[in-house]
Amino acid sequence: MKMFRLVKEGTRALGARKLRTFFMMLGTIVGITALTVIMAIGAGTEREVMNRVKGFGFRAIIVSAGGGRGPLGPRATTTTLREEDVEAVRDRVSGIEAMSPTAMKVGVSIKRGAAQTNALVFAIEPDWHEAWEWFTSEGAPIEAEDMASLARVCVLGTSVSRELFGEASPIGEYVQIGNVRFLVKGVLESRGTSPVGSDFDNRALVPLTTGLRRLFNQDYLSQIRILVEDPDQLEPIGEQVRKLLRECHHITPPEEDDFRVRTAADVARMVRGVSGTMSTLLTTLAGLSLIVGGIVLMNILLISVNERTAEIGLRRAIGATRRDIFTQFLAESIAITSLGMLIGAGLGFGASTLVGSMTTMKVVISWTPFALGLGFSLMVGLFFGIQPARKAARLSPVQALR
Amino acid sequence: MIETEDLRKTYGNGELATEVLKGISFRVDAGEYVAIMGASGSGKSTLMNILGCLDKPTAGRYQMDETDVLALDDDALSHLRNREVGFVFQQFHLLPRTSALQNVLLPLIYMDDYPDDAQERAKRALDSVGLSHRLRYRPNELSGGEQQRVAIARALITNPSVILADEPTGNLDSQNGTEILAVFKRLNDEGRTIVMVTHDRAVAESADRIIVLEDGRIAEDRRTENPMPVERAAREDQP
Repeated sequence: MKMFRLVKEGTRALGARKLRTFFMMLGTIVGITALTVIMAIGAGTEREVMNRVKGFGFRAIIVSAGGGRGPLGPRATTTTLREEDVEAVRDRVSGIEAMSPTAMKVGVSIKRGAAQTNALVFAIEPDWHEAWEWFTSEGAPIEAEDMASLARVCVLGTSVSRELFGEASPIGEYVQIGNVRFLVKGVLESRGTSPVGSDFDNRALVPLTTGLRRLFNQDYLSQIRILVEDPDQLEPIGEQVRKLLRECHHITPPEEDDFRVRTAADVARMVRGVSGTMSTLLTTLAGLSLIVGGIVLMNILLISVNERTAEIGLRRAIGATRRDIFTQFLAESIAITSLGMLIGAGLGFGASTLVGSMTTMKVVISWTPFALGLGFSLMVGLFFGIQPARKAARLSPVQALR
Repeated sequence: MIETEDLRKTYGNGELATEVLKGISFRVDAGEYVAIMGASGSGKSTLMNILGCLDKPTAGRYQMDETDVLALDDDALSHLRNREVGFVFQQFHLLPRTSALQNVLLPLIYMDDYPDDAQERAKRALDSVGLSHRLRYRPNELSGGEQQRVAIARALITNPSVILADEPTGNLDSQNGTEILAVFKRLNDEGRTIVMVTHDRAVAESADRIIVLEDGRIAEDRRTENPMPVERAAREDQP
């Protein structure tokens, strides 16, 4: 096919002048590299968001004690979130499926004989299992009777269980949490590690009543998890809860909340925050280098057309039409950007892997940047190749051969 | 066969207009070997460009075989050059960093239907100029005479009706010039039509017929009854 022969003629010149070819490709290489990295980080962030949101729950609202907007969890010293708040929400907000008030302490000592470990201890209501969709894999969960009788029973996470009992079943055995003896009545399903690396299974659950009065000796909560019936009502219900709690806590403007209401959307926003800035930066770089690279490409091609005037004249003399010359030079331009794209995609994959292993940012490598990069480089090659190709095609053979 | 009738070419217009060709009429039949001779400024380059379908006259008629050349558009002229005209230039105009074989193949690239036996044809063309042992050589690895012979092979590959040579020995020393003239002679003996433009009487004498241009007009059109031996013609080419 004639087109194929013309493309081959167009690319023949590239190998001969390697340095010049490299400079013509440079912009595309940098642009596509940046593009590939952006997309890898973007995809990584979205996956992270999905994981975190899934962990958080699509239907969940979490009310934590303590105000402020910091990323840290509830401050143990905040005493304003109370069981009365739970009752108020239960009575006055509709559309709620389950509520789970929790008091929590970190680094509580759990002992069995000589064996000892530190874990998160949660004081919970039976609804906790439902609200977190997290159930026991062995034995029984925390039940209503346990709450009523302030029973000294507990459910262990698998890590705590392994730490204290090895592979043996802990059911029916006793452990000492803080200074209190508890009967182990169940073991939680294993959830592995969180995306930030903490061990979900290093925890113990006790009934809320027992926890508040016998273990922590307090009358305030750390957080309340609310599960709504309709995920679409998440934000309005969250806002209702916030207003109600401000009312209960007698907070008036301009005072700030002494609690925090978070939904899955807030979590997603938080995760996207850092990589969003990074993406904007890299997108700008990618766009700029593709355009600047295109202009450099165009100028070098224009110079090349001047230098190759005699060659163009010869080709016209032996039978090339204007269209043939145009096609040939456009093919050269597109070949350069396509080649630059391949190199850029390769470098981009490498850089993404590096970013993934050397920073906390998550990356996902897929074929999408490859397809997008191909599209972009073809566009740049076409757009910036037209002018030089047109100039070459318009040369008069008589003038060119002189 | 090529035939011109009252070809005129004027550059510029108004008071600055310069008439370079002032009515050129002649006919070259198939199988002829014609030299067009003239001093610089005589209009021979302009005539050459018109004969090669690279340029158009301001007025007149130009016929190549059955084709009225001046009625053709740019694309049709390109196809005509591709099929019917074989160019040989003073500066060879070979593609650098490209083998002799590839250089000879070049005109075929622009044909609408690429021949299946392209490689064979290129080898045959190179063989006919005595370069079958230089297929893979690049221009910078060849002598001037060899480069010009590659250019001649390139002109031959499409089997054109006329070979147009523009000062083909102008960049060569006498020995290489002699070689090239001998190649033309042999091609003419094989039936090729050759039109050669030169400023040099000795070179022109190697043709069968000389058309002398002076100031845009044909001053002389004669047969060379006893063509000089090619060797001598080339020797006199040198000052």
